[in-house]
Amino acid sequence: MSFDLNFIGILIGAIMASSVPLILAASGELITERSGVLNLGVEGMMIIGAISGFALMVVTDNLFFAVVGSMLSGLIISLIFGLLTQSLLTNHVATGLALTIFGIGMSAMIGKNFVGIPGKEFPLLFVNLKESIPFLGPVFFGHSIILYFAFGLPFLTNYFLKKTKTGLIIRAVGDSPTSASNQGINVTLVRYSCILYGGAMCGLAGAYLSLIYTPQWIENMTGGRGWIALALVVFATWSPIKVLIGALIFGGITILQLHMQAVGLRIPVQLLSALPYIMTIIVLVVISRDSRKIKLNTPTSLGQIFYKEK
Amino acid sequence: MNTKLKVSEISKIYPGCIANDKVSLEFGSGKIYALLGENGAGKSTLVKILSGVVKPDEGEVFLNNESIKLNSPLDAKKNNIGMVFQHFNLFETLSVFENLSIDSDKKDEELRALVNDILKKYNFKIDLDIPVLNLSAGQKQKVEIIRCLIRNPKVLIMDEPTSVLTEQETDDLFISLKQFSKDGILIIYITHKLKEVLSLCDEVAVMRKGKVVSVSNTIDEKIESLANKMVGENLNTIKKKINNFKNSEEILKISNLNFKSDDPYETNLNNLNLSLKKGECLGIAGISGNGQNELFQILSGEIIIEGTSIMFRNKEIAKLNPRERREYLMAFSPEDRISQAAVPELKIYENVALNNFKSSNFFEKGLVNEKKIKEHSKKILSNFSVNTDNVELKSQFLSGGNLQKLIIGRELITSPELLVCFNPTWGLDVGAINYIHETLIQINEQGKSSILISTDNDELLKLSDRICVIYKGKLSKIMNADTVTAEKLGILMGGGSID
Repeated sequence: MSFDLNFIGILIGAIMASSVPLILAASGELITERSGVLNLGVEGMMIIGAISGFALMVVTDNLFFAVVGSMLSGLIISLIFGLLTQSLLTNHVATGLALTIFGIGMSAMIGKNFVGIPGKEFPLLFVNLKESIPFLGPVFFGHSIILYFAFGLPFLTNYFLKKTKTGLIIRAVGDSPTSASNQGINVTLVRYSCILYGGAMCGLAGAYLSLIYTPQWIENMTGGRGWIALALVVFATWSPIKVLIGALIFGGITILQLHMQAVGLRIPVQLLSALPYIMTIIVLVVISRDSRKIKLNTPTSLGQIFYKEK
Repeated sequence: MNTKLKVSEISKIYPGCIANDKVSLEFGSGKIYALLGENGAGKSTLVKILSGVVKPDEGEVFLNNESIKLNSPLDAKKNNIGMVFQHFNLFETLSVFENLSIDSDKKDEELRALVNDILKKYNFKIDLDIPVLNLSAGQKQKVEIIRCLIRNPKVLIMDEPTSVLTEQETDDLFISLKQFSKDGILIIYITHKLKEVLSLCDEVAVMRKGKVVSVSNTIDEKIESLANKMVGENLNTIKKKINNFKNSEEILKISNLNFKSDDPYETNLNNLNLSLKKGECLGIAGISGNGQNELFQILSGEIIIEGTSIMFRNKEIAKLNPRERREYLMAFSPEDRISQAAVPELKIYENVALNNFKSSNFFEKGLVNEKKIKEHSKKILSNFSVNTDNVELKSQFLSGGNLQKLIIGRELITSPELLVCFNPTWGLDVGAINYIHETLIQINEQGKSSILISTDNDELLKLSDRICVIYKGKLSKIMNADTVTAEKLGILMGGGSID
């Protein structure tokens, strides 16, 4: 069994591709949670994004509309969550769970007519560079534009939260909505915006799956990735860069263990399948064990309902 | 510039309670005004209206003879009214500077320069780049004050500012407030502490049950006259008869207690020795943070330490947990009513049930005996004059005084031999304080003992038979209360020594 360098490059490229939906969804959810809102509907929003992206691609035959449409549909379904939790003050956890169940059911219903239709080829960038440079080529080139966006997003998110006024306001709302409100910040507006942004990113993550990663519609095709994204946010202690690391480890071990299964190592398959989950948690726990930092990054008001005194 | 602030005929009605009833007051710059009243008298509602957090049902606010609308905190800011709330409006996980910059339109460099000027001018020492959660209460309050000063306030409202401060921090605050007043800022100072009114303020308005009952110059007032106006009845000042317990039976003996903590925020205790006689009240004075918390938790069994003997009624109890200690007739009233002594989201009777002990029969075969608990709770409510008879009420809706009565009642209804209480009247109004004090004296008269850990020297001198001071985890000599004065306590609390 010998690996040449180029094969390792291709493997890394595949790992990167498999972590894209996690990075997108988790980065979106991270912003939502930083404002103090716990939206457990990630899985539901992702799968709605996946089916609407795919359906729009089939109907309009235009990938741009498909991608934008998937983000819009993620945004619309998160608007339901926003209305319920922010305007009608329902419990975040219950509403989020309902959103996931709703999303899965709804996508299956819409998707019935789209099963078995082949996807369209998504344009990949710098394909000739990928082939001409060994190792680095397949790592850095020949990906879709969404992958590049996804890998930039955690850094953008980090900059946004730490360096911009809007980011500061979001963190403030997540820390103490009452104080924020007393400072004249419109807490409801901030939280709505963060929920909608999170929804759009989850929608995009879903579209990546159905348009690029496995270009077709399969019922339940998100396969729990939404839940992994949620867990990543928590285990990465709300740090965007750690989300990226976590997503890569998860994607990496998922791909590696598939290869290990393929070559027939004498390790039980169940253990191999569990490996990505175990390793991701261990690594994230180890890199985020500074309790002071955890305290500073954790949105204190996470999941708490806020209403303004009249 | 002269500032005049006038509130006219302000009314605010909440379901079941008139918080403000046609309140009219006038203020002018250069003076410090006290707004005095018991908890629930309507002071906080009035200042919430002035800071735009709450809208009045009726009435108007005039700033320099112009009617102003205060529909939101932003409106208050626009009108240069600054407000420091009792519960800080800070973002704990953000840095001091981020807290200040969040509602400022200035560029970061400009703001930093401005803040540094303020720090220098008023001699505040605060690191701008550390998270607020690392600050002491006094420093947090300074951040709040700086936040107001950035906006050149005409009016600065302080809501019960000293309830979280140590004595030193309080002195510092008063110096700053006098300086602000000299700089032309109109200061409204909300409090229920009479001494503060006399030492700080120029004029005092007393509120009772939503109405202004008196406005006067503080020079013309005394503690007693203000207290009577505040409560609306003549308070009998209580003073305990100090007893000599030389020949009484010893009930508690702790020898060579040492406690070393890994947590840098906790205080280590060094070689504490104390003993307590039957019927005696031992007062432990000290500035907060000198080991009181740790001592209380060791007495209650929340912290169990190896190698120390705690003898209670001739039994070794050092290894017992709080519940087991209660079985031996000890009772505890922690400092923090809301998070340690009671669960605010639970109903009254549920909080009572938390203090479950073997003989209570609150639980039978793993099931809750609701009827029994409710009967028991009703008894507590009526015996300890808690201002409700509804055991289904959530504890968070009780005022501080009533919650404290409930907690003390819950502890005392089992007739314990020893009650350990920690700052039992912290943040309470005069009426409730009086009641708690009477209760504590009563249990001594019934031959039960008590340990009173308190940061309030008046309270200690009033209730204790013997007093000692805790300083940096060490206990001073235990003195008979009749030989102790406030001055002596002050010296010991600051780490000095007497005789």
